Amino acid sequence: MRSIVCALVLGSALVWGAAHLGAQAGAPRDAGAAAIESGGALFRERCADCHGADAKGVRGPDLTRIWTAPSSDERAFQIIRNGVPGSIMPPSSAPDDELRAIVAYLRSISTAKGESSTGNVANGQRIFGQQCASCHRIADRGGYLGPDLSRIAASQSNQVLTDAIRNASASFTSGYEPVTLVTRDGQRIQGARKAEDAFSIQIMDTHERLQGYVKGNLREVIREKTSLMPDFGPDRLNNQDLNDVVAYLATFRASQPPRRPPAGGDDR
Amino acid sequence: MLRKPLLYRVGFLCVLASVSSTFGVAQSPRDPNPITYDDLLSGLKNPASWLMYSGDYSGQRHSPLKQITPDNASRLAAQWTFQTETMARGRGFEATPLVIDGVIYVTGPNDYAWAIDARTGRQFWRYRRDLPNNLTYGASVPVNRGFGVLGDRLFMTTLDAHLVSLDRKTGTVLWDVQLADYKIGHSATVSPLVVKDKVIVGISGGDYPTRGFLDAYDPATGKRIWRLYTVPSPGEPGSETWPAAPELLARGGGGTWVTGSYDPETNTLYWGTGNPNPDYYGEDRKGQNLYTCSLLAIDADTGTVKWYYQFTPHDLHDWDSNHVPVLADLTVGGQRHKVVMVANRNGFFYVLDRTNGKVLLGKPFTDTTWARELGPDGHPIVLNEGTKGCIPDNWGGTNFMPPSYDPDLRLFFVTARETCAQYVPEHQTIAPGRFSLSGTVRRDLNQQYGALRAIDPTTGERRWEFRFTTPSFAGVLSTASGVVFDGDNEGNFMAFDARTGRNLWHYQTGSPIWGGAPMTFMLDGKQYVVIGSGTAITAFALP
Repeated sequence: MRSIVCALVLGSALVWGAAHLGAQAGAPRDAGAAAIESGGALFRERCADCHGADAKGVRGPDLTRIWTAPSSDERAFQIIRNGVPGSIMPPSSAPDDELRAIVAYLRSISTAKGESSTGNVANGQRIFGQQCASCHRIADRGGYLGPDLSRIAASQSNQVLTDAIRNASASFTSGYEPVTLVTRDGQRIQGARKAEDAFSIQIMDTHERLQGYVKGNLREVIREKTSLMPDFGPDRLNNQDLNDVVAYLATFRASQPPRRPPAGGDDR
Repeated sequence: MLRKPLLYRVGFLCVLASVSSTFGVAQSPRDPNPITYDDLLSGLKNPASWLMYSGDYSGQRHSPLKQITPDNASRLAAQWTFQTETMARGRGFEATPLVIDGVIYVTGPNDYAWAIDARTGRQFWRYRRDLPNNLTYGASVPVNRGFGVLGDRLFMTTLDAHLVSLDRKTGTVLWDVQLADYKIGHSATVSPLVVKDKVIVGISGGDYPTRGFLDAYDPATGKRIWRLYTVPSPGEPGSETWPAAPELLARGGGGTWVTGSYDPETNTLYWGTGNPNPDYYGEDRKGQNLYTCSLLAIDADTGTVKWYYQFTPHDLHDWDSNHVPVLADLTVGGQRHKVVMVANRNGFFYVLDRTNGKVLLGKPFTDTTWARELGPDGHPIVLNEGTKGCIPDNWGGTNFMPPSYDPDLRLFFVTARETCAQYVPEHQTIAPGRFSLSGTVRRDLNQQYGALRAIDPTTGERRWEFRFTTPSFAGVLSTASGVVFDGDNEGNFMAFDARTGRNLWHYQTGSPIWGGAPMTFMLDGKQYVVIGSGTAITAFALP
């Protein structure tokens, strides 16, 4: 599962925004074809670098799935306007009509029309707790070695989730590429690569310890082809149980707000 | 040599005398360091100064300083860091600071500028331009590449496409002239080049429906002396390389946003031009599209073109040829030539005879699949225009970050980008003030890296490289002691052995080094090396 998360911060903020605020007056819900065409051109010029020419995500998340719930064009507008703090998504100073055209375009290519899941959520939650939670977090509970999956379903279809669980090594999410570091004395340290430059590499090792290493002190940096997450083939997770896990993940698709301080927390 | 600002100096002295008598100030040479054209001609021969973008007119960015060597570079240490209150998202400082008499003059993002104590990093003054809130290109790329200087006047271009002159002592505006209308897509980021009695400036905005030009201004008054449009008017030479549609020529692109070089012997400017507009969709502008993606040799007095060479005819990739042209004397093919060298965004390294524009050498310095050789006509034999993927991306095999050239080692140092991308052109309605890329680029982020490469310009062969994790946008500086400085996208500022490429030292600056290039100078017997990175400028020296 760690291999299926796209840029969570940006994606989750946009998804949350889309999911939690109602449509505002003046939003281009009925935007015309001209606005959509114009918005598409603007999107490809300014957004495609991170979100892909087809808006299905590169460094940024898949934006064809942001209207997975009762949604808000205005909120999407505001996210484009203001950017997403804590992510690489910058604010925009472009004119309002350009941003609204981009929103109109994104709505027009939305493929998420409220995907439903048929699995047993309770069983999925139980299996997740047994098989996944040691490495993945949901709603502030679980491990850190793999990506937080609290909002993964908001930006990925059931099929993508299913495929990623079945074949975890098909691709690696940035920040979770498996590496093995070999020290000069032969010690081997496995972990997920967080950052790297010509002189150093930063990882989270399998004990969830964040640690940086100077390459000059290592004998070798091995870029593993196999994910730290095992493939969950049918022998390990039957189709029904897999369907249930996906159903459990999908419960967070439309309703999970971003993490907030607990009530009564420090708001001074 | 012309000490051109004579009248201007007389005027200055009159004002000074008046001020002195009014306030009873002692009559001493109040300003020991007005910068003259002779100073500019001397370039880096004065080790205490750095007076223009590339350090001197040759564009070599190669310092004669020798205090920092391959043997001691590992001991380099930060001396001070100057932090600003402004930044350009994802980019940052792209300017090369000037140094005059112990003071650094530098421009920054969002048209801020500062005078800084080169010994301590403390600020003397700050300038901030009051920019309109409806910038076009300037809003998306709010950077600046540095000052030009003459006398006590600094010259700076602005995001709303003006040229301003600031008083070097105070940062106050002396004059302010408009270069172009920013509302249709223009901006100005180039570091002005002062040549004799002219301030030469280019223009940005080729990704909008604009027409590029190069201008010369009077340093004393801001009055325009000449303008050279980089896309011809209907009927002019070169117009036949465009469809017969005046409106296309009027928005044909060809920006001039990187500082050129100058040969005083022949009074010739060498200046690169940017992409044709729109960037990726060429069906409506069939033809060679002169003089975009070219190098122009220009009479500095009149602004007339002596010769041109187009690196990328009918460009479809946003491969601006906005590079610092590097001038040198070189033996190529057994003959001595006065050359101009360009490592181009299209992935080729070129050596041209700078007296006539003839191609002496053109070879890929990257793994470009766009073309692998030049044809008999001196133009690339194109194998793949980009729709098949895996040619240099739209940022190119290198970009505007300056290279350097060591004439003793005869090595050209360039920050190379190895990328893989597919181009998807798309017809788009063109409108003033709107981006007009007309298409997009699909990058394969799993197939990319950066490298500092040393090229033998007599053969085009690579002598060595040092690889970076991702493509870098840092410029290069070399010194006569055999040290090369470069940066990377991961934030490292680094020193290398110029002969071997061996890494000697690195320092994590905390931000990608993006578009800026190092410079160096002597002060109080100490050699400083200065680099901008993110929102900061840091000076390094030996302990």
